[in-house]
Amino acid sequence: MPPIRDKFAIHSKAVVCQDVDLKGDITIGPGTVVHPKAAIFALVGPIVIGAGCIIEEAVIIVNRRKDIMRIGDNNLFEIGCRVECPSIGDFNTISTRARVHNTVRMTNHCVVGAQCLVVPAEDETLGEYTCIYGPAADRRIWSGRGQVQEADLRMKHAEYLREMLPKFNRLRRSDGT
Amino acid sequence: MWPNIQYYCPCLSSANALTPPPPILASSSASFHSLHNLYFCEECDAVRCNRCVSVEVSGYYCPNCLFEVPSASVRAEKNRCARNCFSCPICRATLSVVASDPPDDGTGRPITPLNNVGEGPYLLYCNYCRWDSTEVGITFEKPTGLAGTRWLVHFVSNAYIRVVAIDLSSTAQLQKYEDSAPESLEFERLKEHFEPFLRTSSLSSSTHLLPPTSHHLHTSSATAAASAALSRDIPGISKYNPLSRSRSGRDRTANKDEMAEYKSRVEVGLFGQLGSGGDDADVELLRCTETVGEIAKLEQRWGNSWITSLRMSELRPLRIPLHSKVSKRCPACRHILIKPEQKAQSVRYKIKLAAANYLPALSVGFPQTQAAKRALGKGVEPRNVGVMLAGITNNTFRVALTNPLYDPIQVRLSPQRVTDGRGFQVSLPLTPFSIGAFAEAWEYDDDEDMFGVEDDELGLEVGRGSRDKDARGRTKNVGVLERRANVTVVGGEVNVHRSYRGQVKFNMLVSYTYRSDDPLPSEDGAGTPSRAVVKTPEVKTFSFYTVVDLGPVLSKDDSESR
Ligand SMILES: [Zn+2]
Ligand SMILES: [Zn+2]
Ligand SMILES: [Zn+2]
Ligand SMILES: [Zn+2]
Repeated sequence: MPPIRDKFAIHSKAVVCQDVDLKGDITIGPGTVVHPKAAIFALVGPIVIGAGCIIEEAVIIVNRRKDIMRIGDNNLFEIGCRVECPSIGDFNTISTRARVHNTVRMTNHCVVGAQCLVVPAEDETLGEYTCIYGPAADRRIWSGRGQVQEADLRMKHAEYLREMLPKFNRLRRSDGT
Repeated sequence: MWPNIQYYCPCLSSANALTPPPPILASSSASFHSLHNLYFCEECDAVRCNRCVSVEVSGYYCPNCLFEVPSASVRAEKNRCARNCFSCPICRATLSVVASDPPDDGTGRPITPLNNVGEGPYLLYCNYCRWDSTEVGITFEKPTGLAGTRWLVHFVSNAYIRVVAIDLSSTAQLQKYEDSAPESLEFERLKEHFEPFLRTSSLSSSTHLLPPTSHHLHTSSATAAASAALSRDIPGISKYNPLSRSRSGRDRTANKDEMAEYKSRVEVGLFGQLGSGGDDADVELLRCTETVGEIAKLEQRWGNSWITSLRMSELRPLRIPLHSKVSKRCPACRHILIKPEQKAQSVRYKIKLAAANYLPALSVGFPQTQAAKRALGKGVEPRNVGVMLAGITNNTFRVALTNPLYDPIQVRLSPQRVTDGRGFQVSLPLTPFSIGAFAEAWEYDDDEDMFGVEDDELGLEVGRGSRDKDARGRTKNVGVLERRANVTVVGGEVNVHRSYRGQVKFNMLVSYTYRSDDPLPSEDGAGTPSRAVVKTPEVKTFSFYTVVDLGPVLSKDDSESR
């Protein structure tokens, strides 16, 4: 395996803390917030993160595949979760200490509950509004009721973090600037 | 789990026998407890366990909203929170009250900025599995614990009404739904039927209260009341009395005259009308089921007060069950051993006589012996297979003793001998040894206090290891191995006969001598057999039994082959 070449493209409106572990070819979109102690590893293919995502402390995002790992907009990665999905749509929530394997693709509005393990042996795509919960990682389909309020809350959450995090953390900028 | 040490509470043994049962008996486990589960009665100078203490409820509260529910309303509210607290029927998480979504532009973004209050109708929403109450047709007009919610509560407690949409503004309508629940009606009818009998029987039983039959001399009034309640006559059921059969027959006829025959609301054959539709409907449902997911799991149903539907999609939110705070009393002298603070928010205790604050804490472990190392080298946790080897005379183990008292103590260990010659023998230092005083962490200014424990502080003979180091310079195994602060570590050995198989488990008497602030107690040694006055009046001795479990014995061949 050739050594990983670091190449970070961080949008000027993104908030990425200095104390973040980045490896490989990574693009971070506008308005996305990356907390300190998060780790984003593009081990083989690049990782492209969209707009308005929140990546909390101790989150690990790994791409082990050759293809680009695309993460859409307004996703929330809660503290300590580990995600290796080849693709993630919009408005998904991966809760605290959940783990999603690289066999899983996520569409939109999915929820992975706290500490849930989603590690199917075969490739699988989680349909829209799939909700995984409980110690046995049970699944159900969310009706979508409450999603407007949740989306609104997600955006306010990101907005607040973009305002507050720079007051207490040094920020990382793109390689070029 | 081994190795471990448990403490003995003598409450199960007959006639004040202080010796615990042989640990090889399976039933002995009921008499042994871990130290943190035990209490200590200062009055009786005795260990008390959760089995022998008497328990009193000191208050009820909702674990979610922490509202303290007066005991008078606990029964009326059917032991569940009557405020805004519900648990999710799917995943048991607490539900929150949320407003309905405003109209959106199709992308999930609201057209107008959201205000904080939101708009009705409101629904119960699970933040965890995303279930919401509109799935079972429950919505309501106001977000807080107003009359609407109140009615919802009643609705839920009789959760088998086959309605889809409820208009919560119409309380009269809900009242009707509630009253029409067949089980509820039947229950009310039964209560009505038995009411006069219960009233007369409580009158008659109060006139001739039975004398307390307990053997305990100091039976508490609470215990007495409870036993009186248990031995009270139940109308229609005569008390079992083998000597006077004719009398009981007369009782029965007398009761027959008093009690009218009860007629149930529905005929027995028509129970299918009740609740979810009865057995036939359940069978039908199971016949038509296509996936397991359609059927509610046992965990989702057993928290219900009444029968619920088998169908997952029909499960309803549950009011959260109340919790209680209890206090515990010594069974002999009625003094309180532990009592929580009244307020639900508080996790502190007003009184807490934990045994851990009186008795030295013992823990047992193994040094890194050859056997343990061998097991580890093979990737096997020694914990899972055993480290005691048969046919080896010096299987070593260690006991660490921690002193909770502010004064140094002298401890003497007396392991009980196993009578079977082909079993195992335990060697431990039999002479007393000292353990330093407990000190708060901030009292250690520098290192000197950590080590220089005065051995003869109590003026008693101090135990030395039975062999410090023998002539060939081998390190000692039996004796005091280590002393630091308020911890003393002693080593022991087990000689396991080569034919012995089974657990190395033995009882051990622990006696410790401590300096007491109390004046000498008067001569009432009968009630406190474990206490004896030693030498000077200020020094007292307390003894307690423990059971030490060192795990299973391995034969030598077993361990070699692994
Ligand atoms: Zn007991
Ligand atoms: Zn409550
Ligand atoms: Zn739920
Ligand atoms: Zn007592």
